Amino acid sequence: VTPLSDLFERSVKGRALAYLFAAGAALGLLTLVLPHDDSVKDLPLVILAGVAFLVAGAAYWRAPRITKPELHAAVALGTVILTLANYYVGSTALFPLLYTWTALYAFYFFDLRAALAHVALIAASYGLLLALADHPSAVTRWLLAVGTPTIVGLLISRLLSRLRAENLASVQRADELRETEARTRLVLDSAPDAFITLDRDGLIVNWNAAAERMFGWSTAEAIGRPMRALIVPPEHRDRHDERRRELVESTGNVTGRLMETEFLRRNGSRFQGEATVSKVEIGGEVMVPGFVRDITERLRRLEEREALLREQAARAEAERVAEMVSGMQLLVDAALAHRSLDAIVEDLVTRVRGVLGADAAVIYLVEDGQLAMAASSGVEREGTPPRVEFGTGFAGQVAESSEPLMAEQPSAEEIADADLAALGCESLLGVPLMAEGQVTGVLVVCATEKRPFGPEGLGVLQLAADRVALGIDHARVYEREHRIAETLQRSLLPERMPQLPGLAVAARYLPAASEAEVGGDWYDVIPIPGGSIGLVMGDVAGKGLAAASMVGQLRSAVRAYALEGHGPAKAIEQLNRLVWTELGESQMATLLYVVLDPADGQARWVNAGHLPPLLAVGDGPSVFLEGARNVPLGVMPFPTFDEKTVTLEPGATVVLYTDGLVERPGDHIDNGLRRLSEAVRDAPDAPDDLCDHLLSALVPERGAPDDVALLVLRNTPMANHFSAEFPTEPQALSSMRTLLRRWLRYAEGSDQEIAEITTACGEAATNAIEHAGATGDSPFEILGSLEGREVDITVRDYGAWREPRLDDQGRGIGLMSSLMDDVEVTPTHEGTSVRMTRKLNGTAL
Amino acid sequence: VTDIAQLELGERGAVIVATVTGELDASQAPLMGDQIAEEVPTSAKGLVVDFSSLEFIDSSGVAMLFGLARKLGSRRQRLSVVVNDGEAVARVLEIVDFGKAAPMHADLDAALADAS
Repeated sequence: VTPLSDLFERSVKGRALAYLFAAGAALGLLTLVLPHDDSVKDLPLVILAGVAFLVAGAAYWRAPRITKPELHAAVALGTVILTLANYYVGSTALFPLLYTWTALYAFYFFDLRAALAHVALIAASYGLLLALADHPSAVTRWLLAVGTPTIVGLLISRLLSRLRAENLASVQRADELRETEARTRLVLDSAPDAFITLDRDGLIVNWNAAAERMFGWSTAEAIGRPMRALIVPPEHRDRHDERRRELVESTGNVTGRLMETEFLRRNGSRFQGEATVSKVEIGGEVMVPGFVRDITERLRRLEEREALLREQAARAEAERVAEMVSGMQLLVDAALAHRSLDAIVEDLVTRVRGVLGADAAVIYLVEDGQLAMAASSGVEREGTPPRVEFGTGFAGQVAESSEPLMAEQPSAEEIADADLAALGCESLLGVPLMAEGQVTGVLVVCATEKRPFGPEGLGVLQLAADRVALGIDHARVYEREHRIAETLQRSLLPERMPQLPGLAVAARYLPAASEAEVGGDWYDVIPIPGGSIGLVMGDVAGKGLAAASMVGQLRSAVRAYALEGHGPAKAIEQLNRLVWTELGESQMATLLYVVLDPADGQARWVNAGHLPPLLAVGDGPSVFLEGARNVPLGVMPFPTFDEKTVTLEPGATVVLYTDGLVERPGDHIDNGLRRLSEAVRDAPDAPDDLCDHLLSALVPERGAPDDVALLVLRNTPMANHFSAEFPTEPQALSSMRTLLRRWLRYAEGSDQEIAEITTACGEAATNAIEHAGATGDSPFEILGSLEGREVDITVRDYGAWREPRLDDQGRGIGLMSSLMDDVEVTPTHEGTSVRMTRKLNGTAL
Repeated sequence: VTDIAQLELGERGAVIVATVTGELDASQAPLMGDQIAEEVPTSAKGLVVDFSSLEFIDSSGVAMLFGLARKLGSRRQRLSVVVNDGEAVARVLEIVDFGKAAPMHADLDAALADAS
């Protein structure tokens, strides 16, 4: 590091020693050549010079690896040679001063103590020489010869030690610097980031291992080359130059300027790097060190993360939308199953408001060419719902254009819905509700704060509107179908029970609590000409319109076959053929058909796959009529239908029902039947009361799980008094006669009396039917009472009195008078009353 | 059971025989009268209405008979009726004095003889 350091190299010392010996030998030989004293012995001196040359040669040869003992030996040898030379030269006064050389070398070569040892050697050998010569000024010479090298040596030693210390420090500094440099290089080389230093001209002066890895150029290749050519992509080079110049020319130091740019690798590929560049001035020299980091991975991760975030956001949005859609869908599904249109729009409007975070939402539906507010959420409504014309107001414009519409700070006139306007809408968004290309309504949402819904809100609202429209459309279709089915079914069930003389009938139809669709349960009571009564209880598989229409066909068919006078088995056979051939194989129905003759209480029944009817007699145990079981209708083309007969004694009751009354989910049907049988036991007699009792006893409070149809008929026991109503139509006459004969038999009239009284009453009834004419549908009454042996019968109608025509009806009055003891006709403004009495005595009049 | 009125038509030589069973009231009589009248061709000598199996008759059945009697009379055809003596149907026809309009017989052969 400094030239002085060489001075302390042992090889240098070795060579210096060689020069000393060579120079001494040469000097000795030179003195022999020059004129000199005779006392000088030439030969020994020449030999000594030769020895000195040998030592010089050895020292030079050994110099690179000369050892300390060799140095000591050489210096000591020098002292010995000088002493011998001194002896052979004789007493020359100056010669001892030559010891100064060996002493100087000793002080140069060794530490102070070793050097003084060599001085001692000099002192001893010269002292010995002087003692042998017995020289007069020996002490002076010795002091001179020893003192001079000691003093000079000490000075030299002092100087050299200073030099050595300085040299040592500088060597240490150099070592330290080297170490630091090595460490720095190590750090820089092990750094993941490339470390590059440029000089002011942009030439690379530093290039670490990471730079080698990163760019593919070795340090040797990179150093001294311009960075711009090496790792800057061509299109960025101008910018690089500009930046570097700007950096270099800036005053003072700049640290850690961060920049992101593209870099070029040796193989031509590129990557995104982040450079941290500084500028330092060291001794007027400008250096630009910089770190380059490959951020491809970081960017990728960042991108991945962003993509992930985007995806998460998208998913969240999708989920939100999906949830909303499924919410809507659920609502629509619910609407399809249960809800009325009113209920669904109410629900939807609330849901839409929630989804959009709107302050209010309104659904308008098209009604009679206008938009009528159908449901609102967040709006105070009073009075009749507002209506707007197409093209009028906000909703009207949406409906007219069939396009979404947005309005900011609309006026109350623009809104055209006073209740909505009262909220103080800042933003309005409206979308049309479309069904099959037609506007069926408008969905409007409102925000009361300055908070535009934006295209996203529009999208969501549009989506909601599609669902709402779909739901409303379905609800409408459903409601229409439901209404048709319901109407159909209602029309299929008897509006009121026919008045059956001597019989009491009641029926109930209870739709299932949870089902919105009407079921296929049905019943019918058919007055058969001749006075018999047909009772029908049936259950058609399926629900809704299809089931209802099949019930309609079955009902018509049963009535037709009943009116033809077919017995139950025959009627059911024909019915089965109808179901099998006409109504399609997929149709199946169970049916119970009972024909009762009230005259004698004979009941014939056929059971086509239905639950057995229950027969209750007075307070005794009720029995299920298990016989006459057959396959359901529509399962076989030509089954034979078994028919059974049972007598319905006066006071007996028969109960017909569908499975809804007795079946409970998870429970055996037998348990249901047992419950029915028990419920009938402690039930009231009157069929109406019995029906109510059975429903309350058997149908769960929350409603029947399935439709329930119930039909109860009681063969009323006869009493002294009776009353009955009949429709004012000729077909009622036979029923009336049947009842009357039963009663007269109860009154113990003779056959003849019964026939005559029946004929008389028939005349009165025929007149009553005649009075009602074509328009009247109010029934006529017949009241009978037995007082002792006298029967007192009144036939009362509410039609217009007509004077009896002479030929025909006139004969009726005549007959009555002839057949009864007394006949009293009282026409009033509201009808005519005919009272007839006759004493029963077993004979004809 | 009270059977509604049923009509059976037959021919005995030049005489049409209409047998009515069941119970005849206003629900059947007017139509049945028209039907019977239609079934009697102008070529027929007469008509026998057989009520021997009829269980019930009221004034509308009576009106039907009177109507038939009028129609046949205008076509110069004869009408006779079969009823069982002492039964309700005969009693009603007696009360309305139907005998004045057409002869009544207790058996079919006598009625047929009367009508041809």
